[in-house]
Amino acid sequence: MAKISPEEIIVTDFAVREHRSLWGDAWGRLISSNTARLGMFIVILFVSSATFSHYFWKYEPKKDLDYSLKLKAPNLSPNEEVDSIHIFGTDKLGRDIFRRVVHGGWNSLRVGIVAVSISLFFGGLIGLVSGFFETVTMTMVERLVLFSITGLLLGALSAWVANQIFQLFLYAGMGIAAGYYQDFLKGKTLRSIVFGVIGFLVSGIPAFFAGITVGLVCGILGLLSGVILSRPLDGKFLSNSLMRLMDMILSFPGYLLAIAIVAFLGPGLGKGMIAIGVVGIPVYARLTRSAVLSVIHKEYILAAQSVGEAHGRIIFRHITPNILSPIIVQTTMGLANAILSAAALGFLGLGAIPPEPEWGAMLGDSYRYLASGAWWAVLFPGLAIMLSVLGFNLLGDGLRDALDPKLRT
Amino acid sequence: MKPLLEIKNLETRFYTQDGEVKAVNGVSYSMKSGEILGVVGESGCGKSVHALSMMQLIPDPPGKITNGEVWLDGQDLLKLNEEQMQKVRGRDIAMIFQDPMTSLNPVFTIGFQISEALLLHNDMSKKEAKDRAGELLELVGIPGAETRLDDYPHQFSGGMRQRAMIAMGLSCEPKLLIADEPTTALDVTIQAQIIDLVKKLQDELGMAIMWITHDLGVVAELAQNINVMYAGSIIETGKIRSIYKETKHPYTIGLLGSLPRLDDSPGTELMSIPGLPPDLLALPNGCPFAARCGYKIEQCLTEKPPLVEIDGKDHAVACWRWEDIAGIKSK
Repeated sequence: MAKISPEEIIVTDFAVREHRSLWGDAWGRLISSNTARLGMFIVILFVSSATFSHYFWKYEPKKDLDYSLKLKAPNLSPNEEVDSIHIFGTDKLGRDIFRRVVHGGWNSLRVGIVAVSISLFFGGLIGLVSGFFETVTMTMVERLVLFSITGLLLGALSAWVANQIFQLFLYAGMGIAAGYYQDFLKGKTLRSIVFGVIGFLVSGIPAFFAGITVGLVCGILGLLSGVILSRPLDGKFLSNSLMRLMDMILSFPGYLLAIAIVAFLGPGLGKGMIAIGVVGIPVYARLTRSAVLSVIHKEYILAAQSVGEAHGRIIFRHITPNILSPIIVQTTMGLANAILSAAALGFLGLGAIPPEPEWGAMLGDSYRYLASGAWWAVLFPGLAIMLSVLGFNLLGDGLRDALDPKLRT
Repeated sequence: MKPLLEIKNLETRFYTQDGEVKAVNGVSYSMKSGEILGVVGESGCGKSVHALSMMQLIPDPPGKITNGEVWLDGQDLLKLNEEQMQKVRGRDIAMIFQDPMTSLNPVFTIGFQISEALLLHNDMSKKEAKDRAGELLELVGIPGAETRLDDYPHQFSGGMRQRAMIAMGLSCEPKLLIADEPTTALDVTIQAQIIDLVKKLQDELGMAIMWITHDLGVVAELAQNINVMYAGSIIETGKIRSIYKETKHPYTIGLLGSLPRLDDSPGTELMSIPGLPPDLLALPNGCPFAARCGYKIEQCLTEKPPLVEIDGKDHAVACWRWEDIAGIKSK
């Protein structure tokens, strides 16, 4: 037997597996699914066509008008009637539908991103806060911030009603004072009465001189804010009131609420974005809250608390990364939803202001010509809506499968 | 010498829909610095809850600390507010948890999680914290510590994760380390390694350790003093030898009797304690153990026995009949 010296023994690293990150894993699974690939293809096509056309293929909707080309059928080569190519045909003002569909994509993309960002930001924040403070005691600073925000919001509301700006600051001040006296005043019944009366007087009396209706509204708002400020504002109460507020928003039919907000703010694409975003807030808030509740009792959160980490750090560094996957899925699906809602608002004439190209508005402009045989003016914008929504939904579905930890091997 | 930790009459309640759960009922004891104290008892007897109450980590609502004082190094922790408490946690008291599988955050590297407490409580740069984290991992006996700082928890085995947890707990050199059943989720060989490690670290660093467990074998090896808890109160406390050799409380006698011993003759039946621990929603007026106790008398059902010191022995027991029971046992 040949002797082997110790130097000759090759040590192999047998226990080390190739490192795979969560996102690498998820990407691999996403790519391996046919429907997800299709969804991704549609989404990439949609996003790139919208973006590139906006920057490299300028379109000025206000100057685009040619009555001689009114409602021409799609043609792939110039013919005796139409000397230019319109692969999707033209609409009632002789505008090339292909061009408008592509540029309409930019508007839909903008609406989708901005609206979803609004819902995600506010909804996510509300969900995180209400989920976290459900079982965690708030610190004094957090109480102060909360009181001030509540005071400021209520103050802003009643100030808007009464057109009296100073109330805004008054309520903020009251909120801060209430925060300081939280532990000082122990008689809770007395305190709530005192604050209720103060709130009523402070906003009711000045407003009374501005008009009886306004005065009444202000008085009620003041009473409400007084009562809220006097409550021992623990986390459970905060979480409950935020969630009930979300329930209130959720109890409106989505489109109706969006229409109401647009009617209140006035038409326009930007206002439509805000309306759609606000309608989406409760969905994200609930989702985030439930996800937070599912991780908050894990021991690593307790461990983070037990090394003395501050609440904000725990929320954003420890909880948020652990609940990302359901939120990513919901965001992708939410983009589809926002595009659909924008189209619905546009169809009703509450979205983009004509002649700005927008898919829903294009449908709304052209459906009257369907009877006279101009199917192309309706079909192509409709197809664009359908395909983009389908793309985002398929991608969201694929992401859900890819990010589901139960499927990980 | 002044004790490091002194708990006086600590009471914790959970207000649930079914009523008030009396989880901890007037626990008082003290710990010297450098002492290892074992807290034993069965599930739900309040051992973990009283430790979490000390750190004010009880989920609130539904939990509330209704009474008591926790003096650590001359300050009453229960009087501190949340901001001040955050400075104490990790720096003065650290905690290790039961399940190493869930007590590390899966999305961060081990090195990041260890250096986090360092960055919070010390004036350190990220680089220094990382170096220190490497040293700590080395200290708890993870081979190739430097190279494993960038690993994620799922790349560690259970025993290694528990070592990493211990490194996290030790990072700021706390005066008191609370170990909440740190070896329960590990198998016996790893358990022995962890116990040896903790002993070694205690020799080197000299902090006090509170070891919460239901395993009397583990504390026998490790602790100097033992608190036996039952239904939220301490029923027997004392030096480890005197608890094991001169057991006074019938519950502790039952606990020790239910352990198999190497020197038992074959065929010896293990003792078992009949019945179940009392419902914490409706604690009896008298001794909480009375319903299961073979020595109970009328007084046990009506009056709760106080923890009485046995003369000159550093041993205290909460039982009306401990003297009689000691007599019966010796016969």
